[in-house]
Order: sequence, then structure tokens, then C-alpha cells
Amino acid sequence: MRTDLDASRYSRQIRLFGEEGQEKLKETAVFIAGAGGLGSIVSIYMAAAGFGRIRIVDCDRVELSNLNRQVLHWSDDVGRNKAESALETLRGINPEIEVEALVETIAKDSIDRLLEGSDLIMDAMDNFPTRYLLNQAALRQGLPLFHGAISGLQGQAATIVPGRSACLKCIFPRAPPATTFPAFGATCGVIGSIQVTEAVKYVTGTGELLQNRLLLWDGLSASMDEVVCERNPGCDACCEY
Amino acid sequence: MIIALPDGSRKEMAVENARIQDLLLDLGINPVEVIVAKNGRIVPEEEMAGCGDELKVVRIVHGG
Repeated sequence: MRTDLDASRYSRQIRLFGEEGQEKLKETAVFIAGAGGLGSIVSIYMAAAGFGRIRIVDCDRVELSNLNRQVLHWSDDVGRNKAESALETLRGINPEIEVEALVETIAKDSIDRLLEGSDLIMDAMDNFPTRYLLNQAALRQGLPLFHGAISGLQGQAATIVPGRSACLKCIFPRAPPATTFPAFGATCGVIGSIQVTEAVKYVTGTGELLQNRLLLWDGLSASMDEVVCERNPGCDACCEY
Repeated sequence: MIIALPDGSRKEMAVENARIQDLLLDLGINPVEVIVAKNGRIVPEEEMAGCGDELKVVRIVHGG
């Protein structure tokens, strides 16, 4: 017999995380930095999974060349603010959660205000200088940071838990040169999905986190690899935390 | 020493003991664009590597 629980929006994942786990997701406020390729996958799956409060931030407008991967935005959205377009899509996916979308630049003087009230940080940025700001804010506020990055058919992901793991700067002590990168939607799908899986595991206390490990996806060979990373006692970002 | 390169190829090099940064430069790799794992662990490029070591050179991706 079909019960109310079976018929609920989250019934299939409650089988994984329990009602208690689902309640924890509902109580969690997430900050998503970027509404581009990774931000699309991350925000859509977080909304669908029932994270109770989502704040997504992006200062750009939707361009036609974004649409091969940024599935938050559709053809009619070209020219609109990404934040505005994201808000509409996410509310359509799950009207039971609170979504806030901000047209803002993540900068040194705005990041603490933007993060106010958030429980975790999703890195969906396209550059390392802003990632380092997220890393520093995560350390300062003691919030977990779920890192992801892509280029072409390759991607990487890591989970950073302040005080318990290597930070982003321990793993990547300096930013790689900024270049225009090839971007493919399905690669964003792989890496963004890993980031969301990690966030769900963190909140529900399920499984083993991707901390002190950097996961590497290579779509060309269809293989995943990982390398171990450790806290660097001399790291200028996390040595005092 | 075996070096796994970012393009997926593997190279065997007869090196006694060398600074990883120098090995990268010899291979024509800009150290700023990569991180290196020695025997599965990320290490600073000032670290030395010798004949029994296995290096993996990972090209850092930054897009999103």
C-alpha cells in the first residue's frame, strides 16, 4: 500500500538518509557561489534534494554561449541576470524551499555579509582568486567548503572542513594562470554532482567525506583518480585555524 | 622514476635525486599550472624525488 511518505517529494532519498536526514537538509542554509556551469548543477540538485534555504550569487548576465552547460538558464533567459533566471528555475523545481538570488560580486569586502546565516559554501566559481576568498571566509567562519572546478572533459573536487582537513590553499598554494577554458555541460554534471553528494553526506552524517583527498575526473579516459593532500603547517591561509 | 603526465601518458626517467620543480621544467611543464603527487601524496615542488618514486603531475583546472 502506498503511504503518504512514499508519495512525498523526498521518499526515494529518505530511504537513504532517513526522515531525520531529510529534516537536517531542510534546516540547512547553503551559499552557492556562482550560477554558471557548476552552479547550475549544484543549485538544481540541492533544490531538488530539499536543502531548506539556498542563496545563490552571481553578477553576470546570461549569454547565448553559456547555454551548452548552464542548464539553470534557458534560451529565453539570454540577457537576463543569472541570479534572476536561477531564482525562477529553482522555484519551479522546488517551491517548498526558500531561494534567494543575489546580483552581487563576491569580493573581500562583501563576502562576510553575503555568507551571513549560511551553514556551508558551494564553490561554483570560475577563478582561483575568488575561490581563495571563499576558502578564507570558510576558515574564518568555520564553514565547510565544497570545492569543484572543471575544464573541458576534466574536473576536480575536494571537501574542505576547517580544522579537520587541508584547506584549498594547502592543496593549491598558488592560483593557476587565468585562461579562457573549454567548458562542457556533462563535465559540470559530474563534478557538480560530486559536490552536492558531499554536501548531503556532510549534513546527514553519511559515508566518508572527500577530505584530505583531491578527486580527479578525466572524461577522455573515463577514469577517476585521487591524490592525498595534507594540511600544510606553513599554509598562510589556514595556519592560524 | 615513473612520471604520469597530465595528458595521461607515463614516462620513465633515470633520475637519482632531483628537485621536482627542475623535473617539471625539464619536461617543459610550467610549475604554476600543476600540482604534483609523489607516491600518491601532494608535495611542494621544492621536494626531491628519486629513482623509486612515482610522480603524478596534475594540471589544475579552474573553470566553473
